[in-house]
Amino acid sequence: MKTTVRMVGQVAVVDLSGKITIGEGDVVLRDKIQELLDQGHQKILLNLEKVSYMDSAGIGELVACFKRAREKGGTVKLLRPSGKVEDLLQLTKLWEVFEIFADEPQATASY
Amino acid sequence: MAATTVRMTLESDVRLVDIVHAASETMAHLAGFDEDDALNVGIAVREAVINAIRHGNGSDRAKKVGIVLQATSNTVKARVKDQGPGFDPNATADPTAGDNVLNTSGRGILLIRAFVDRVDFKFREGRGMEVTLVKKRAAAKPKTILAGARP
Repeated sequence: MKTTVRMVGQVAVVDLSGKITIGEGDVVLRDKIQELLDQGHQKILLNLEKVSYMDSAGIGELVACFKRAREKGGTVKLLRPSGKVEDLLQLTKLWEVFEIFADEPQATASY
Repeated sequence: MAATTVRMTLESDVRLVDIVHAASETMAHLAGFDEDDALNVGIAVREAVINAIRHGNGSDRAKKVGIVLQATSNTVKARVKDQGPGFDPNATADPTAGDNVLNTSGRGILLIRAFVDRVDFKFREGRGMEVTLVKKRAAAKPKTILAGARP
């Protein structure tokens, strides 16, 4: 999985592409979010548009990032989950936990 | 169509899970599944193998995971066998209930059950856990023939 970070105002938008799976994407996601939190970023938006799928480890890491950010007074929100990722968020009921947006300007303005 | 079978034996190393996932999707395609259902099969088998490696074999690389994938004209079947002490699949907490939603693990069996039609867990003392997953291809959607359209 690949990540790039863009700043939109105070919001760190993390564009993810690939899959968030055990031993690969989950580690990349963990390291990137930790790096952002260590740098003092508290408003993090994960752009999932180009994430093809996640497995249970990837979903677990998404939850871990959400909790880690919250512990530091930050917020992780989600942008444009793709078809399978949306299915997985619904199935696991994380759809009700995360704030999820289809529109980036609306998402960045929501913090 | 005669059944097509693939057999694999893996060390208990999660870096090998992608190999099984890819093979499972290929078998699903051979059984005529569309992309979405093939991915569902891949994810379900992937989760069964992760469970076998982590919870069955305790990530002990000396212990093996045996996998048999079988495709017929409309069905995919996967058997995943570990060499561990077994576990009770019904004893795992519902990861969608209450505060469990924020647990960082425990969703594997939920995903398996969601993405295939049938899951059987069989444990034999000293012989490990064997998980069988079965998914049948959904009936093709009827084609809509528009009036006046060319055949």
